[in-house]
Amino acid sequence: MYKRTTDENLKRILFLGSGETDFGMQGENDAAIYQVLPILKSQGYRLFFVDDNPYSLALESSEAETIVATLTVQSIKSIIKEKQIDAVFPGFAGLRGLRLWHQVIAEWREEDGARPVGLGISDKTLDLLNDSTALFETLSAAGLAMPEATIVRSQSEANELLRDLELPLLVRAHNPAQGTTRRIVRRLDDFEEAVNQVLSQSLTKEAVISKAINGLKEVSLLVLRDKAGNCLQVGASEDMDPIGIHTADSLSVAPILTISDQIVQEMRAQAFLVADILNVQGPVHVQLALNERTGQLYIIKVSPYLDQLSNRMALMTGYPVMLVAAQLATGRRIMDVELPADSYHEKTAMMEPVMDHIVVKLPVFSFGDLKASGIHVNRQLNSIQKSVGSALGFGRTFIEAMEKAIRAAHFNNRSFSPKYMKNVSDDEMIQQLIHPHDNRVLLLLEALRRGYEVDELAELTKIDEFYFYQLKQLLVTEERILDSGPSHEQLAEAKQSGLSDGLLARFWNSNLQNIRTLAKEAGVIPTYKALEPSAGEFPENAHQFFATFEEENESVAVSNHTILLVGSGAFRMGDGAAAGYVTSVALSELRKLGYHTVIMNNNAADASLLPHLSDKQYLEPLETSDVMAVVDQEKPEAILVPGNRRKLIASLLALGQRVIVLPKEKHQPFGPEADESEFALNLFYDGQRAYPLVLTQHQAGEIRLVDQDISGTDLAGIHLDHSGVYQLIWRKKGLNWVKHVDLPDFSVDSWLRPMPFGQIAFLSKLLKISLIRLVVRSWKGGLTENDLGALVAHMPDLRGSDFAMVSDRTDFHLHLQPDAPIDSTRFEMGAKIVRLQED
Amino acid sequence: MERHLILEDGTVFSGEGFGAPATTFGEVIFDTATSGYQETITNPIYDGQMIVFAMPVVGADGIHAEAYESISPKIRGMIVHDLAEVSTNRQRRMNLDRFLKQYNIPGLYQVDTRKLIRHLRETGSQKATIVDVVDDHARDQLQATVLTNKQVQNTATDKAYSNPGRGFHIIVIDFGLKNGILRVLGDYDANVTVLPYTTSVDEVLTLDPDGIILSTGPGNPEDLPESVLTLIRVLQSKVPMLGIGLGHELFALANHSALTVLPAEYHGMNHPIQEIISQEIFYARQGRGYVVDPEMLDSKRLFVTHRDLVDQSIQGLRHRDFPAFSVQFFPDGAPGPLEAKRVFADFFETVVDYVQKNN
Repeated sequence: MYKRTTDENLKRILFLGSGETDFGMQGENDAAIYQVLPILKSQGYRLFFVDDNPYSLALESSEAETIVATLTVQSIKSIIKEKQIDAVFPGFAGLRGLRLWHQVIAEWREEDGARPVGLGISDKTLDLLNDSTALFETLSAAGLAMPEATIVRSQSEANELLRDLELPLLVRAHNPAQGTTRRIVRRLDDFEEAVNQVLSQSLTKEAVISKAINGLKEVSLLVLRDKAGNCLQVGASEDMDPIGIHTADSLSVAPILTISDQIVQEMRAQAFLVADILNVQGPVHVQLALNERTGQLYIIKVSPYLDQLSNRMALMTGYPVMLVAAQLATGRRIMDVELPADSYHEKTAMMEPVMDHIVVKLPVFSFGDLKASGIHVNRQLNSIQKSVGSALGFGRTFIEAMEKAIRAAHFNNRSFSPKYMKNVSDDEMIQQLIHPHDNRVLLLLEALRRGYEVDELAELTKIDEFYFYQLKQLLVTEERILDSGPSHEQLAEAKQSGLSDGLLARFWNSNLQNIRTLAKEAGVIPTYKALEPSAGEFPENAHQFFATFEEENESVAVSNHTILLVGSGAFRMGDGAAAGYVTSVALSELRKLGYHTVIMNNNAADASLLPHLSDKQYLEPLETSDVMAVVDQEKPEAILVPGNRRKLIASLLALGQRVIVLPKEKHQPFGPEADESEFALNLFYDGQRAYPLVLTQHQAGEIRLVDQDISGTDLAGIHLDHSGVYQLIWRKKGLNWVKHVDLPDFSVDSWLRPMPFGQIAFLSKLLKISLIRLVVRSWKGGLTENDLGALVAHMPDLRGSDFAMVSDRTDFHLHLQPDAPIDSTRFEMGAKIVRLQED
Repeated sequence: MERHLILEDGTVFSGEGFGAPATTFGEVIFDTATSGYQETITNPIYDGQMIVFAMPVVGADGIHAEAYESISPKIRGMIVHDLAEVSTNRQRRMNLDRFLKQYNIPGLYQVDTRKLIRHLRETGSQKATIVDVVDDHARDQLQATVLTNKQVQNTATDKAYSNPGRGFHIIVIDFGLKNGILRVLGDYDANVTVLPYTTSVDEVLTLDPDGIILSTGPGNPEDLPESVLTLIRVLQSKVPMLGIGLGHELFALANHSALTVLPAEYHGMNHPIQEIISQEIFYARQGRGYVVDPEMLDSKRLFVTHRDLVDQSIQGLRHRDFPAFSVQFFPDGAPGPLEAKRVFADFFETVVDYVQKNN
């Protein structure tokens, strides 16, 4: 199917994994690697993949030889030698991948033999990225403007600078250990602390100090460049929030709406120039700041590797960023890239995608969940990322896309509750307009409600007037809907603005069923628009759709043998962290069983939205009205819903749908105390019977397998509503990792919970049995003898393990500044698989 | 107020009216670019046409002094999905709605523009009318209306004027010139004289140009008088020449090649254009209803320098004997990618050569 056009000597490629998920890394790198393995394999490469992320989907891919190993120079070097690797592909592992590869290069010795080549990025560029002074000089020499920056190595050097520079200043770590640490210092009093903080976070103990450019408009461009120097712009998005708020915490919009073509083209030209200077073969994410008064542009960050924007752009435009980027890295030119013919127009790769829809990205914060367990964090948004995930809203107007993003992020439409912001005093309001919190969209609406003028608000918030005009229009719509009560016209207007049936039911003191009936009478039913990169210019075999309310519906039901899967939405702390893994495996297995699959989701980092995992993808919020609209369209045999969506499950059942529940809790209810261990007897329940798997011991932040045979344990008393993987839990004082533990009387001394998704992913890798695949197979009426045989025969061999799962690396203090320690097991962001030291 | 777009094939699309409440007739085409609505609607090449924008929200950047491609818009209608009534103008007076009102141009919003574009993609660019009421009268009027073929006369200057600079003397033959070309010539500090297309060979040569640009323009090049082709034939043999858009089509016709009509016009900026000699690709704004027919290219006189890799259409031609060449796409951006400006660099290199040889 594919011809190789690159260097014939290059046969064995090692993909570096990106390690544990964290703030700013929600599994998109893993999803990208999983996606590109098949196409590269078909082009004749022998592929290897190394990672230590237990949630990794790519580690379970059959397209590559996968290796669970810690991501250190030592282990990468030994893999390279053992597997005779010809080329290393670091860029799909993000900044971590580039750093690791750069270190491997630095520590490669003559006696290590011939060094593999790096794909996508040159050694010279890696050096440049590691030296911000040189990068600054190189970009400046090419005529690109950046906020002038100085590197300091100590507090006293920093103080020297204060003589020359005026506040506010931006202080950030040079070569930060992880992510980007940025502090804006407005008051002299904060300067010392900020410098100290970033010095300690820098791998090289250096801080970069530059003039802050707060209040400017922030724009992100994604460019692809090939070996021959051809550049293509995948897309661009603008942040509603000005610079000063981390771009991950900003509401952002694509395509660019409020910037003139002249400036858009100048930004594009600068981004292409950056790509050329960095000599990249693959993606470059260029962040720019625009001073609208002067038209001055600043380059504020260049990321010549795959990051969250790459996945988001792929989903927002329908352009296969990953499939193209991977082939560019192996040396193909943009016009020689090949794509699966069943999904794309033959010229898709070389055409710049254009959007005929609007996408709003809304960050998701974890403040509420933390507050519910008594932990208070700093909610004021600034230049340090506080959001843990994000959700996308797709629509044909900004308001429709924004409302859908709000519903996607929160599972409800809070912005419309007129009472919601009533208690904020005028003083507080002005404070929060200047120093925004996570709820700023609601605050902006409330300010408009209280009669603030648009230009006044634009001045206070540095948000473009366009957005205030849009929000004002939304308020007018809201009032009209509330005042006039249910009617066909009002319903049509409300649905066009992205509001859900549930919200209208609340507005009109009605219920969901009545609203649905009214909508059907009025003919207000969603029309699904294909999401494809040519904006209608060419017929594309699109599999991705979003709902709007217009004339033409482009979606045709997949088949009469379909299962609809409701995804888990935005990345969330706790047991949501591995949700993408679980949903994706379930999709893959349903397909193997001969079902057609349709997925609904709205999280760009989530592997479940990969085009080749399902027959159709709906990019939608996940409330009852959205799900039922897709049900009306696809008429699925059954709907698969994660167990924590209790309200959704209840309302789907009430509407007569067949629901399959994927057992899941919102969080682990609580972790073990500081001085105790938690034990879990992990079991598989096939709908009739429970089968013991393995025994695990947990302490705060770590899980290990206990080397104990439990295959004979009598679990006959267990009867559950849904098949799945579960845990019998009990706790004991003591922090020793045990070789044996006495089993309690399960009927009194333990309780049962669904196995957390993260542990499912971890155990599947250790046991080399995909537990989710077994669960899916059990829905067809129990497991086959074969499956059961394998399960039972397998377990006694696997009771102990060299590997543990550790989840204590997240720097909550940096991101959230909590007033109490955060339990990293319960509020898990990510975890890694660690090989236990041999004592 | 609800208003309607009736297509020649009978299909009706409805939406809310904005701009002027006028009833107009024009040829309806679609544009897939996501930026530059003001430049697009003021580009004279759209004289007599109605534009459907794929970009769903139009108007969010207001109306800017620096984004005019001509002093007034010549379009006959504008069809969008969502209209943003924003003025970011310092005088705070002008938004897109008021702008169209001022020039008596109707607009429609809240239209299912994606459906309309998919329909036009299949049925082709066609005659259409924007009306208040869909009735037999409106349909009859549409069928009876013959659209003008005098677009160049409508938009091109009939008087010579100059745009002075201190550099090379460049003559622009105006077929419906867009400002972007003058802006780039200004970047080169060219001493520009813009002439009507009816100017005679003698008049042009008397002005002693260092280079000649055949401008962009609207409509069917075959509607122009034969004298234009004669003018091109004589001038190309004497002075470096660059044809752009309509100018490129005329350059091909003057060199005994023929054009074909595209069933659905292409207006956008996302097709890769390959420069054949270097194999490099770049992107440029295109707006075309006609292309040079590769079968009917006089290859004794011309050779192909650029192609659109999506539809393989000829995007650039060069004369085998003279320093004359042409591009189908718009190398001046406005709106559109700046990387296409390299064409002007090539042109000025040719001009420098010519000037050095003839001094």
